[in-house]
Amino acid sequence: MIQWWQILLLTLYAGFQIMDELHWYSSAGSAVFSGFITGLVMGDMATGLFIGGSMQLTILGVGTFGGASRIDANSGTLIATAFAVSSGMDPEQALAALGVPVAAILVYTDILGRMANTFWGHACDADVEKMNWGAYNVHYWMGAVSWCLSRMIPVFLALAFGQGLVDAITTALNGDLAWLGTGLTVAGGMLPAVGFAILLRYLPVKKHVAYLILGFIIAALLGTAFSSIVTLGTDASTLATGLNSLLGEDAAVAVGGGYKGLSMLTIALIGFALAYIYYKQSQAAPAAVAAGAEGDDDDEL
Amino acid sequence: MSSKGYKLTKADFQQINRRNLVGFQAGWNYERMQHTGYLWIILPQLRKIYGDGTEELKTACRTHCAPFFNTSNFLNTIITGIDLALEETDGVESLETVASLKTGLMGPLASIGDSIFGSLLPTIFGALAANMAIEGNPLGLFIWIAVNIVVDWFRCKQTYIAYDQGMKLVTTMSDKLNAITDAATVMGVFMVGALVSTNVGIVVSAVPEIGGVAINIQDILNNICPKLVPAALVGFVYWILGKKGMTSTKAIFIVLVIGIVFGALGWVAKG
Repeated sequence: MIQWWQILLLTLYAGFQIMDELHWYSSAGSAVFSGFITGLVMGDMATGLFIGGSMQLTILGVGTFGGASRIDANSGTLIATAFAVSSGMDPEQALAALGVPVAAILVYTDILGRMANTFWGHACDADVEKMNWGAYNVHYWMGAVSWCLSRMIPVFLALAFGQGLVDAITTALNGDLAWLGTGLTVAGGMLPAVGFAILLRYLPVKKHVAYLILGFIIAALLGTAFSSIVTLGTDASTLATGLNSLLGEDAAVAVGGGYKGLSMLTIALIGFALAYIYYKQSQAAPAAVAAGAEGDDDDEL
Repeated sequence: MSSKGYKLTKADFQQINRRNLVGFQAGWNYERMQHTGYLWIILPQLRKIYGDGTEELKTACRTHCAPFFNTSNFLNTIITGIDLALEETDGVESLETVASLKTGLMGPLASIGDSIFGSLLPTIFGALAANMAIEGNPLGLFIWIAVNIVVDWFRCKQTYIAYDQGMKLVTTMSDKLNAITDAATVMGVFMVGALVSTNVGIVVSAVPEIGGVAINIQDILNNICPKLVPAALVGFVYWILGKKGMTSTKAIFIVLVIGIVFGALGWVAKG
């Protein structure tokens, strides 16, 4: 059950995050942060981070260029995390069954908010003619009210009245509809592929295809190698525990553990090094830069 | 000359930057987008330049508020800085130049700002934050916040630079920025490649029997190259995104349905 103070805090955050994204852009208006903060409020940070992170990857390439509406990943993450914790839903299923649909539906309240602001824009025009600056300030900030309410109202309604529905869904997914639950889990794992594909549509991928291959292969090989090492380390220590119980204390076998998975930060540094080399080379041969930054832009998304 | 000879001070620019970071896009609307916001962040300064209650002030405000305006909210104060340098010296006589300056610069700045601040930085640092978050570690998120604080500092700094350098800035900047953007896209593309292999968590789980022998498809694929299934999925989505009438939201739902069906049938599993 979601407590009233949790609903209050999350509703306030829903209004705050859109202001953040529009203005100071601290990343508190991102899906990962939304998951992080919702997780903290709900008392399960790991679930929040997981849903937020997966959602962030799903919308990686979806920008708000030229004022186009995009799916509201932040609110979707918020709802998915809140209910995943309160109903004990599997995070991956919550992402696919709640996060994505909510994010898509909230595009419409975003559009409503932007439309409402047209009215305030005209009010501001009139204030300029009257040189009534006090009124201008008020009418201008009414725009922020539209923005905030376009997130806060749906989030509040969902949190306050959605519990019964979500509980029913969770029970069904664990019972009769277990096949659907499995499918949703797989779909949750697949969703980041969309973000990457959209991003590739925006990036000059044909021009830089060599780096795409390098990035993929380096991470695929190292990732596999690292996870094999971790598995091996776990196996070895299991083996050692069994062995040590048979041996005397002075003959005990020590197994070094603590093998870590692949760190994405180090992969990012390889990418940075390659970009730096590229930059240095383009500075040395200025003619090569003239081709411009955007090779094959597909702006139809 | 209608200008009262007011000289903008450091406090004026601090106020502009504050207003820019707190509410530049609050009035965003479908009809003319950032038109009210452009005026709102410089309104106190315009009142000082033209004097309160004057016809000149009304003309200047109308010039700013009436027409369509939309640019990158990371680079908009470059236009503001150049604009104020002109209005401060030439008053209403500069307004025609200012209007064409605004229309002329908003497009190019929008594309630079969107590609660097709206796309590349969120890709690299957002992906990093997301990647660490999935493993339960919020550290990446704080790295991203730190980067954005630097970006915000830069957004404040550029107002002064644009005011001091005027139009010169745009020409000197564009060459350098093009080179940086191009190099940054290298990192962007590289990271997407890496993320495809680490973050698309699916494997083939179907084990068909052919002539009484069970074929472990995933094992065969692993012998060719690990993570081939994620790569194929991204390639597929990339391909459908090129289809006419396809939007990112539709693509998300297509993948959702495919995931549910294939997962329910047991052909594909989380991995």
